[in-house]
Amino acid sequence: MRNSNEIIDDIANKEYEFGFTTDIEMDIAPAGLNEDTIRFISAKKEEPEWLLEWRLKGYQAFKKMQMPGWQHFKLPEIDFQGVSYYAAPKKKKQLSSLDEVDPELLATFEKLGIPLNEQKALSGVAVDAVFDSVSVATTFKEKLGEMGVIFCSFGEAVKHHPDLVKKYLGSVVPHSDNIFAALNAAVFSDGSFVYIPKGVRCPMELSTYFRINAQNTGQFERTLIIADDESYVSYLEGCTAPMRDENQLHAAVVELVALDHAEIKYSTVQNWYPGDKEGKGGIYNFVTKRGICKGKSSKISWTQVETGSSITWKYPSVILQGDDAQGEFYSVAVTRNRQIADTGTKMHHIGRNTKSRIISKGISAGEGDNTYRGLVQVGPRAHNARNFTQCDSLLIGNRCGAHTFPYIESRNKSATVEHEATTSKIGEDQIFYLNQRGIDTEKAVALIVNGYAKEVLNQLPMEFAVEAQKLLSITLEGSVG
Amino acid sequence: MTDITIPFYQYILEGGNGLTPKDDALYSLREDALVRFRSLGLPDLKSEAWRNTNIQRILKEQPFTLRQQAAPVSAAQVAPAFIQGLSCYKAVLVNGHLQPELSQLPDVKGFTITKLSEASKNEAFKSHFDKHPHLADQPFAALNTALFADGLFIELKANTVLDKPLHIVHVYTVSQHAFLQPRHLWVAHTSASATIIESALGLHENAVAFVNSVSEIFLEDNAEIWHYNLQDMSPDSRHIYQTAASQQTYSRYHHYNFTLPHATLVRNNLSVALNGSYTETDLHGLYLATGNQHVDNHTFVDHLQPHCNSNELYKGVLLDNANGVFTGRIHVHQDAQKTNAFQQNNNLLLSEKADINSQPQLEIYADDVKCSHGFTVGQFSEESLFYLRARGIGEEAAKTLLVNAFAFDITDKVHIPALQHHLTEQIRRYVSGVSINN
Repeated sequence: MRNSNEIIDDIANKEYEFGFTTDIEMDIAPAGLNEDTIRFISAKKEEPEWLLEWRLKGYQAFKKMQMPGWQHFKLPEIDFQGVSYYAAPKKKKQLSSLDEVDPELLATFEKLGIPLNEQKALSGVAVDAVFDSVSVATTFKEKLGEMGVIFCSFGEAVKHHPDLVKKYLGSVVPHSDNIFAALNAAVFSDGSFVYIPKGVRCPMELSTYFRINAQNTGQFERTLIIADDESYVSYLEGCTAPMRDENQLHAAVVELVALDHAEIKYSTVQNWYPGDKEGKGGIYNFVTKRGICKGKSSKISWTQVETGSSITWKYPSVILQGDDAQGEFYSVAVTRNRQIADTGTKMHHIGRNTKSRIISKGISAGEGDNTYRGLVQVGPRAHNARNFTQCDSLLIGNRCGAHTFPYIESRNKSATVEHEATTSKIGEDQIFYLNQRGIDTEKAVALIVNGYAKEVLNQLPMEFAVEAQKLLSITLEGSVG
Repeated sequence: MTDITIPFYQYILEGGNGLTPKDDALYSLREDALVRFRSLGLPDLKSEAWRNTNIQRILKEQPFTLRQQAAPVSAAQVAPAFIQGLSCYKAVLVNGHLQPELSQLPDVKGFTITKLSEASKNEAFKSHFDKHPHLADQPFAALNTALFADGLFIELKANTVLDKPLHIVHVYTVSQHAFLQPRHLWVAHTSASATIIESALGLHENAVAFVNSVSEIFLEDNAEIWHYNLQDMSPDSRHIYQTAASQQTYSRYHHYNFTLPHATLVRNNLSVALNGSYTETDLHGLYLATGNQHVDNHTFVDHLQPHCNSNELYKGVLLDNANGVFTGRIHVHQDAQKTNAFQQNNNLLLSEKADINSQPQLEIYADDVKCSHGFTVGQFSEESLFYLRARGIGEEAAKTLLVNAFAFDITDKVHIPALQHHLTEQIRRYVSGVSINN
């Protein structure tokens, strides 16, 4: 059995598995942000006038805003002018089948292990792969099309379903919501669009794979999911990025709209490049995710497993507007080396009998800093609102940090809100118990950590759960507290 | 800082000529504090620590004077402030000034109690006054340091044990709207112990007293202090209490905070720095707010050393249009291994218009610790109510009983029977006086 120091060294020295770069000819906009950049992006994407105007509105809002100062970490200086806001694989011609996709691109996806090509179709995942902002190919489109499900890249949606996009774009995350959302509104490159028609239960998990490839580019995708009355959809999102010395900014926006009796389940496994052990490089993952339960008895559920990025800073939230609506948030966030995670959720209870549930599990190792920050807000009309929040932190090593900053605001006397948080390390007695039964320390820790995170991992769809479990064990392999 | 139309603030910003007399022994300290206050500025809703308490609005309601002479106070006027059946020493302060003729001060060897203004030569004063690190970033504490007129200095020499509790009555009497700045310093040396009860009495009518008080409490090795703070002032009172305690090895600090009707604003900044190992800290709070009361409790437990235990339990009952705010922060530093820190905040929201904002916060940098916090807000359980009603107890009486039971967790911890009785009675009176619509 190895001792704990060796194991901790191992974790610290572990290299990022997905840090390969792909050499494909890229179409990159010159660095810098001004109205011309936005017009350039808009023109490149052959967008209608109204969208360009909306982008410009976002840019105006962005210019007026200042960087926030309330976060629990030192916000690095971000040079918005030093970033290129558009990078796309050079367009060759319209692609109609996977055979036409650049084989090197496919190889990248292959390496990532995502089931993009038809042979893997049996795994039942329809993938809209976003490779530096442009959707490369979308599988299963035809089958989904038969049911009336629209699952396409954002750009396509603007072309083919402008009414839907126009109606819902910015309705959950307005162009002036926060500085990163405003930036995204101005320069978003692509993303996914999903529309589930009335009464349709989407027969398969929809999935997008994001990957940042080019150097010095930020990824600014935008996802919009609309679940019409009595529909259901489960959506998966996975992310990786190659190793680079510089930090890359990722400022995405996700908007979910659930109408009467609809349900949206949104799962993320985020494994962007976390930087090296000195904290050099890595992704700044500053994402705005928000869903609205607009209709009666609608439900939105966020599940996230965050193991990557040098800084993860996001609060997937739910506006519970319809009566009897439900919001859920399940999260596992792992930080090691010098990673920082400041994440959590917001639940806004507006309608009657609305319910929300928050389960957050933070794991800090090395010099990682893990913060749960959340808001539960009960409005005066939200009679019988109910919230339960549990955030647990696990500390591994004596140089990491775990913090909990919940905000609770209740304006209704019939509401019941509960919050509890604990912080602890892996108990020596737990390890000893498992050792006694012939399980070595390394496996024991993996077992304990997986058990600790199980409540969240159970929420993930099958394929993702396996991947996430693997990811957890790899990230924390045998770390003894 | 924009849109400041608060006269006294303007006055301070413009230099506040003559605010700090040059012949004062603490002149440079006061000047520094003034500079600090100016740079910290008056908090607004964007200041994290004041986001739920609009202090600027409250300060703008009246024009306050910064200097107020106290009118003479008679023993008969003070009498109602004492607790029935409590055998104790008494110290009466009027607008922050000690009144020996109204007090029964202890004559115990090793125990000193004087006006703060007369303590400047004292060694303990020199080494402790304005030294608490947590006061540095609090604008109102800086303002107090710059402007305080007087307060109480208490020193317990090593091994001194105060045989009876000391009851400090803060009497406030103002004839025009006044901003008062009492300042207190308590130092308990090695193995000393005392029980100190504080309460306030407002004798002013038709004028608002805004009290901005600062108390620094230092506990040296193995010292123990029970500190009760009873806050039941009249509606024309606004209070900001800054209580900063510092504990050395093996010391024990037990703080009990009771915020009762009717002061319009009560803000408590209670912070404890654990500078030694093996300390124990209990923070108990009960806030029962009615009418348009705004009760804001900010607590901060700073675990700097290993092997310290802290326990915090705050319970709130909010009626009528009352607003409750609770922010409890526990900070465990990297060296503070083997820390046990617990915090709990429970609230009963008993009116349509009442609200509560709570921010329990854990900030932890050490791994071998046990820390937790919990928060709840809700109602009586229907089952409890049904249980009582099934036994022939009327609805009103049952609800009063349940509120008392809710408060019992705190009142039960009061270690002086007469005081416990006094508090239980007060709670009963306030709760039965208002209708609870469930």
